[in-house]
This record gives sequence, C-alpha cells and structure tokens, in this order.
Amino acid sequence: MRLVIARCQVNYAGRLTAHLPMATRLLLVKSDGSVSVHSDDRAYKPLNWMSPPCWLIEDGNLWIVENKAGEKLVITIDNVVDEIEHDLGAEPGLVKDGVEAHLQELLAEHITTLGDGYSLVRREYPTAIGPVDILARDSEGIAVAVEIKRRGEIDGVEQLTRYLELLNRDPLLAPVQGVFAAQQIKPQARTLAEDRGIRCVTLDYDALRGIEPDEFRLF
Amino acid sequence: MKIRVERDGLADAVAWVARSLPSRPPVPVLGGVLLDAGAEGGSDALTVSGFDYEVSATVGVPATIADGGRTLVSGRLLADITKALPAQPVEIAVDGARASITCGNARFSLPTMPVEDYPQLPAQPELAGEVTGEAFAQAVSQVAVAAGKDDTLPMLTGMRLEITGSTLTLVATDRFRLAMREFSWQPAEGLGDAAVLAPARTLADAAKSLGAGGGTVRVGLASGDGLLGLAGSGRYTTTRLLDAEFPPYRQLLPSDHTSRAVLQVSALAEAIKRVSLVAERGTQVRLEFADGSLRLSAGGDDEGSAEEELPVDYQGEPVTIAFNPGYLVDGLGALHADRAELTFTTPNRPALIKPADDNGDVVPGYLYLLMPVRLPG
Repeated sequence: MRLVIARCQVNYAGRLTAHLPMATRLLLVKSDGSVSVHSDDRAYKPLNWMSPPCWLIEDGNLWIVENKAGEKLVITIDNVVDEIEHDLGAEPGLVKDGVEAHLQELLAEHITTLGDGYSLVRREYPTAIGPVDILARDSEGIAVAVEIKRRGEIDGVEQLTRYLELLNRDPLLAPVQGVFAAQQIKPQARTLAEDRGIRCVTLDYDALRGIEPDEFRLF
Repeated sequence: MKIRVERDGLADAVAWVARSLPSRPPVPVLGGVLLDAGAEGGSDALTVSGFDYEVSATVGVPATIADGGRTLVSGRLLADITKALPAQPVEIAVDGARASITCGNARFSLPTMPVEDYPQLPAQPELAGEVTGEAFAQAVSQVAVAAGKDDTLPMLTGMRLEITGSTLTLVATDRFRLAMREFSWQPAEGLGDAAVLAPARTLADAAKSLGAGGGTVRVGLASGDGLLGLAGSGRYTTTRLLDAEFPPYRQLLPSDHTSRAVLQVSALAEAIKRVSLVAERGTQVRLEFADGSLRLSAGGDDEGSAEEELPVDYQGEPVTIAFNPGYLVDGLGALHADRAELTFTTPNRPALIKPADDNGDVVPGYLYLLMPVRLPG
C-alpha cells in the first residue's frame, strides 16, 4: 500500500470523461495495481479511481493509469507533500455475521426465550449438509432445530427446511420441530415458514444482551 | 349453482369477507371466498365466507336460489368486480370449472378453485355475552390504540378480555402506555369468569365493522379451542386467541397522585400537534404545569423550538413532565370526551389520563396510563 499526498490534477478518459482541478489530494496505490484519488471529506468512495487489472506508468510528474479497455486516468502532479509505503499483508476479509454469531451464543445462553422448559442440546449441531445453529428440546422433550438470522428471509427458511428434512430421518431425533429466529422477519419468509409448520420468533438483540433501554417504561 | 342477488348486499358482503383474507395466501384456496347457496336446508340466502386458519368471516346475503351449490373463487378479484358492478341484480352461475357473473350488460367469467380443498370453517363458539355494537366498537377502539405493533413480544400485540360477572374489561399495553376500558354487558347464563388474549388489530377491525351495522354484538368464547367469536348484523367472525401470558397490569396502576390537571381535550391535542412539529421524530413535548397555566414546549437550542400556553385547572406543585407527543395525542383521542383529567406524581412516574365531564369530574370506565419520557439534562 502506497500513500501519496500531492497537489495534483486528474483527468479521466474512458466511458465518460471527468476532470478534477488542481488541489491537494490523497492518492492510494494498492498492491494489485489499482489507483484511487481521495479528498479530505467523508468515509466515502474515491473521487476517481481505476480498478484492477490496470497499470501505473510514472513519467516524471505525469502518472498514467491504464486498463486493458484503454481507459485512462491521467494524474498531473504539481508537488508531492508526503509519501509512505507499507506492506499490509493478507486481508482476513470482512466478518459480516458477527451479530448472527453473537445472537446464536446469546440464544443458547437464554434458550428459554423460545419457550418455558426449553433446554439446549448443543450449538452448531452437525448434519450431513452443515451444522444447524442450535438444537434444543422443548418442555416435552421434543427436538427443536433453530435457525438464526439477523434478517429472516426466504432463503433462511429454505435452509432450515433442508436441515429439518435431514434431521427428521434420524430415528433418535424425529420428530424435529423448526424454529426460525431472527431480529426481523420478512412477511414472505414468515408466510413460508408458517406454512411449513416452522415457528417464527423475533429476537430482541438488546434484551438478550441484557442492555436495558434508556427510556422509561411501564414494566 | 345458479342464483340471483342484489348488487349492494353482495358487494358489501364480499368486500367485508375479502378484507380478512391474507395478502399472501400460502395455499391459493385460502385467498378465495366460498359462496354457498342454500346451505342451511334450502334457506333463501347466499353465504359468503373466508378463512385463513387465523381469522374466519361469514356473512349471509338474501338471494333467489334457482339451483343450490358451493363454489370457491378468488376473493380479491370478486371484491373488485362486485364493487364495480352497476346497480342491478347480479346473477351468479357455476358451470363446470368456471363461475359466470352477469349484471346488466356486464359479464364476467372466473375460474373456480376446488371446494374440496377448502378448510372446514370453525363453528361459532358458545355465546359468552352480548353488548350493543356501537359501545363495543368504541370500547375496542379506545383500547386497541395502546396495543403493541412489534412482534418481538407477541403478548403485547394482544388485547385482553376479562369477563367478571356483568363487567367486561378490555386492556392493552405496549410497555409505554396502557389503555383499559371497563363496561357492563349482558353475560350469557351460567358463564364463569374468564380472561383471554385476542390479536388487537383483528379484534379492532372486526368490532368496527360489526358495530357499524348497529344492533348488538354477540361475543362467543371457546377457550379450549382457542377461539373468540363475534357476531352481529348478520356477520360472523372468529379469530384465534393468542397463547401468551399478559403482564400483571393491575399493579402498574398508580393508587395516588400529587398533581391533578383538568384540560380541554381538543385544544390540548391541537397545541401538542403544533408544538411537536419541531420535535425531531416525535421525541418529546414538555408540559410545564403551574397554577392556572400549562406551557407546552418542544425542540431545543440546536434545532427549531416551539411553545404554547393554555389555561388549565391545576392543583399541585409546579411540575415539568415530558411525553412522547404521538402517544399523548393517541390517549387524548381515545378518551371520546371534551375534557380530560391528567394526574401524576413526579416526571419519571406514569401519568394517568381519564375522561372528565363539564364539571371536571372523572367519568369512570376508561383510563390511559402513559409513561413520561426522560427530560433533557
């Protein structure tokens, strides 16, 4: 990763043309060859950029970034204020389902959220097509498979349906009931789930975390 | 099946039944309305019904029946068609897999769905009591306003019906407010005390449409089957009860107060609506009570601000208390009275709103309990 702070002017010629007048900006040259031009406001996409694969040719104060479609980003540098280069290493990737994992952990801890007398069998109960988020038993000892989502949509119901079909083949578990638990359940997903005999439960993340809302309440 | 029926009666009946049909039926037949001609031993009536396993609706329409029978057609389509028909007698005939509707010069032909696949309509539950339709509709609407709309806590989306002798009590709460209405009704003979929880929205819709027809509403209860039935003006509806525990609400009702104000409802409601225009996302409106005057204010230094003064009949120390303006206006609107009594203790304890008469005395039977919101700073 190379960061250059420079007074520069940028011209882009490609599917559409764009021009950035002379000003001080941050130029990012990433290890994949991509170049992006940032101004000093907002956590936002660059003013101008070229996505990889592309090539940077530095010719004195003229930088030309070109891709194989012939589109060009031409940066004319007036003076370089600062420049640093650092190797960031491999990126582990964005973990989007942090809340989902936490919801699973919390629901396992507070399994009676699903109903009185519920007990936890285990989290990540293995099946041939992947683990079910939670397997529990209700007050009568009937197995309950729980699929947890942040946003409950149709694909989550389909996923749970597949798990239920497999789990119900196990004579030691069957019959297995389904519970679709999410912070928010789409009406289509709710209709589909209920039609398949799957119970829908809306989870209150803050309440599970034990964070009492700041506002006054009657109870 | 071949029948002739008046257009207005048919359109009203179909529109009412179609309203309770699911917008996304999981099975197509559940989106249908069942037309049943001469079901009850050759009577001269067409029965229109809908059912989605949660709510059922049935209404009878006088008809001339040439040939009895049953058929199932799309509810939404039939409602749209009957609404648009000219004011002339309507003929409905079923031939094979299609139903034809003829009215004046207009002809429609609709595909029918197999009646055999349609679920059995639930029987009307046993009579629990009777009350005038108007009174029931008003009571239900006064209470439904406080019911929760969020599915996170299913018990809060319900309305509790408590039967104690000749008194019927309706209660709903969403944790921020609680509405309760008590009124006398005519219980069925030999009926024990009971308490059930019904979906507030369904109940409000049903009570409104049954009450509009005048006459009495008969309330039926089958706790064992988890069903509540309402009947009146030739219309019958059932709804599935909620299987959830209602919070012990009686302990929430404050037993005493230190401040009491009597206010004009419409003047206050209008002033709140005006002042709260500057309250971002309806956050709060502050009420400053002093001897003889009430100062409403909203907004703050960083945003727009507004204030308004109203005369008030006030007893107590000067107090500033803040409320969610939407909840406060809801409560005032639900009183169905010209004047309101507001009693409270401190700015962080619930306030009680009750209807009052012209002398400022409380009219018993209704209360709206409202939790204040935190004052800034």
